[in-house]
Amino acid sequence: MSSWLDYTINGLIVGNVYALVAVGLALIFGVSRLINFAQGSIYLVGAYIGWVAVVRLQTPLFITICLVAASSALVGLIIERFGLRPLQNSVRIAPLLATIGISFVLDQIVMLTFSPNPRALPSQLPDIRFQIGTGTIGPLDILIACIGITSALLLFAFLRYTKLGWAVRATAQDRDAAMQMGVDVNRVNQAVFGIAAALGGLSGMLVGMYYNQIDTAMSLQATLKGVVAEVVGGAGNVPGAVVGSLLLGLVESYGVAIFGTSYRNLFAFLLLIVVLVFRPNGIFASAKQAPPEPLTGTFVAPSRPVQIPRWALVIAFMAFALLPLLPVSSYVLQTLINAWLFAMLALSLTLVAGTIGQVSLGHAALLAIGAYTSALLSLDFSVPVSLAIICGGLMSAALGTLLISPSFRLRGHYVSIATLAIGEIISLIILNWETVTRGPIGVSGIPPLSLFGFELVSAATIYWFSFSVMVLLALLQVRLLGSHLGRSFRAIRDDDVAARAYGLSLNRYKALAFIFGGFAAGVSGGIAAHLYSYINHETFNTQQSILALTIVILGGLGNVAGAIVGSVALVGLPEVFRIAAEYRILIYGIVLLLLVRFRPQGLLGTI
Amino acid sequence: MRNVNRRALVKGSLAAVLTGVTMPRAAMAQSSEPILLGVSGPLTGPNAQYGAQWKQGFDLALDEIQAAGGINGRKLAYTFEDSQSDPRQSVAIAQKFVSDSRIVMELGDFSSPASMAASPIYQRAGLVQFGFTNSHPDFTKGGDFMWSTSVSQADEQPLLARYAVSRLGLKKLAILHLNTDWGRTSRDYFANAAKELGAEVVIAEGYIADERDFRSTLVRVRDANPDGLILISYYSDGALIARQARQVGLKQTICAASSVYSPKFLELGGEAVEDVHLGTRYFPEDPRPEVQKFVAGFKAKYNGQEPDAFNAYSYDAMNVAAAVLRIGGADRRAVRDAFTKVHDVSTVIYGPATFDVASRRVKGAMNAELVVRKGQFTLWDGKQPT
Repeated sequence: MSSWLDYTINGLIVGNVYALVAVGLALIFGVSRLINFAQGSIYLVGAYIGWVAVVRLQTPLFITICLVAASSALVGLIIERFGLRPLQNSVRIAPLLATIGISFVLDQIVMLTFSPNPRALPSQLPDIRFQIGTGTIGPLDILIACIGITSALLLFAFLRYTKLGWAVRATAQDRDAAMQMGVDVNRVNQAVFGIAAALGGLSGMLVGMYYNQIDTAMSLQATLKGVVAEVVGGAGNVPGAVVGSLLLGLVESYGVAIFGTSYRNLFAFLLLIVVLVFRPNGIFASAKQAPPEPLTGTFVAPSRPVQIPRWALVIAFMAFALLPLLPVSSYVLQTLINAWLFAMLALSLTLVAGTIGQVSLGHAALLAIGAYTSALLSLDFSVPVSLAIICGGLMSAALGTLLISPSFRLRGHYVSIATLAIGEIISLIILNWETVTRGPIGVSGIPPLSLFGFELVSAATIYWFSFSVMVLLALLQVRLLGSHLGRSFRAIRDDDVAARAYGLSLNRYKALAFIFGGFAAGVSGGIAAHLYSYINHETFNTQQSILALTIVILGGLGNVAGAIVGSVALVGLPEVFRIAAEYRILIYGIVLLLLVRFRPQGLLGTI
Repeated sequence: MRNVNRRALVKGSLAAVLTGVTMPRAAMAQSSEPILLGVSGPLTGPNAQYGAQWKQGFDLALDEIQAAGGINGRKLAYTFEDSQSDPRQSVAIAQKFVSDSRIVMELGDFSSPASMAASPIYQRAGLVQFGFTNSHPDFTKGGDFMWSTSVSQADEQPLLARYAVSRLGLKKLAILHLNTDWGRTSRDYFANAAKELGAEVVIAEGYIADERDFRSTLVRVRDANPDGLILISYYSDGALIARQARQVGLKQTICAASSVYSPKFLELGGEAVEDVHLGTRYFPEDPRPEVQKFVAGFKAKYNGQEPDAFNAYSYDAMNVAAAVLRIGGADRRAVRDAFTKVHDVSTVIYGPATFDVASRRVKGAMNAELVVRKGQFTLWDGKQPT
């Protein structure tokens, strides 16, 4: 039984580490109802400032802590002032996207300044170990725990007993009413971002010291685990975030104990789904707590879509259809093939996110299901490739809808988080279900695309194939949106209470949207598998889900033409910036920020 | 962090133009342009560090190649395209390279998904894809234009098993491996070899690349009661595991794969990596002249920085590429054929390297048995761990 004591202690130690990020996220969510995807980047910035202080300036620990906290707070204030405040009258989705853009920019700046090599961040605390169970803990564990718990308590007291704290809570509950009562909402936001960023930076430094290792990849992981912990504890609930983190740590540790290391994150994300389904406001939410998301569709920007004249569409279609006949390089064609494949994914996402309002952050998982189904069918059962791709689409539709169905009752941000988790779960199942998916080795030797027995190998034929499949799916979707189904979808997005009052079955319509969307995404994944000839569990990752969402928002949510234009733009842009080498992702992030700032309804507008 | 190679390219062609003044016109047309290699690899994204290490090795090798007169009188240069190790980008880069007639050979990509997704394009276009970190057993099966100097795990792991089992006397092994195609393949080769030598694998745990916390995994390991820990890891995760193993009170001998061989391993692991055993493909104090030249050249070029395994791989790759091009010239198909003809190219990892034409890989990597003593990699003195 002594092992269980060790697993428990280890779980608490890791949970302790997660708590520092989760507290910052909870604070920001509590005030601005925003999941700050840049929190992980501030954590990264803090870690590197800590490195400069410890290794270069050789400051004593106390000064290091002050320095890191102060400069991270400054970064937070800059983000608030220049990244988010201009968006406060914009739609709810705009700040969310802006934080994603900011995290790109910050991560890249750190990478360019410090190089991507991992660095050692030596702890400045005395190296004493205390025996607990059979393992030991050091002074850093205790310091991290103290900072986590003290900051949670301080924040709790601050929110409950100080005037600024009241203002923060009032702003959280009703921003407009708070403003009418004379609360300086901007100052409140500033205070919150400053505090959260200071905490985030500090936690990055402490975690870096804890592992004696910092690198630029730590940002995304920190955000992911922090978000899970925060939602488990109840979004916006600061003490809840600490308990949620400890619980997350324990679940992971016991998961490792029972099933093995490679199942670890599976348990983290399953915990999240279970909490979201049974207690969507977090395990500590009281029953009378107001719903965390607005009932009506203010999540999506209302706008008048740009009307593209029919002749322009026909000309564009002809131009792209005839492109391979012109003397263009196969590099351009290949880039456009990628754009068409992404356009199919974007069509799928614009339907579920834009038309019916379920903003999914795990859409790449649908690609993976389609790709694996098609690849394995054609390899193991010699199914003809074109048929296998269609089967991939169907499997994606069926499995995707089934997996996502528990989250149909969720709204707004919660859907995004649930889908993010489901995406991670699918990727982990692919990694671990070796008898079917071949696990980490991946599937190689996938036959090339073929149609009626003819292999499509030249760039031009693959181009035509993917282009026509994409156009076909787009036309189907336009037809769908024009039908009564499309109107019902939009009714659900704009006001689900009113839609229900009119007798629409929400779950059934959401399922329909996911079935159609899943099919398009699955087909895209299937084509990709045959195009690449090799796939593994990392081929379709979270970055692609985020890219797909960016495409959809850039084009205009729910807008079919917008999804296609967005794909060409966002797949093409990084290629255009290729000349900028290491700087291109930075430029990409800045472009994204500018877009969100100046055209939140997307290029072609929301439908 | 500017694109050094691009600058080198400009400088190279400038120099060629200048020298061209004194040359007859016909010769100038042929030699003013450098021979160009395309490199597809990560410069941004989660694997960016490896792309940066590649560049260091490439640039050092290029300096030496140019100093020795280039490729039959022409300069050698490379253009590095950032793929982020993402298959979508590596296929686009592949199309870019195959349609650029100046490029005679491609090097990379880093990860298996990115490399193997691009293979069909290189194979069909008839451009050699020279993957020097691609240990996936199926990489060279992509076609006769796929060649690799990556150390085959079928070669490497039995050497490590011999070190751990026969030499260090470990009998009950716990394997911790990265759960990737590389880690998984390595684990299987290692476990088979260890069993043949009479050891028992009591537990094998795969972990994902982003993992930071191994304490619970190590409790599992402890409960399996091994007498040695085998790490099939890269240096950053290897250092984390070693640290945490000591923190949870595991005192067993640790024996690691060559991929942890990096000064970073010592820096990140600190005292916890003391007495860690590892097999490596080269060792700075190895008296072989190619190793001494590499280590000295590297330190001189990069302000005293110690080279690591990835630096050595890319350095070797550029030298092998140069040797191939000296035979194959600038014709893509002739370059492919030249891979079957190069003989005993001097490399850090293999010593004299010759490709096995059937597998399109090189066999017989060097083996040094090292141990960390007083914060330094040193040759193992044969003392059994206590």
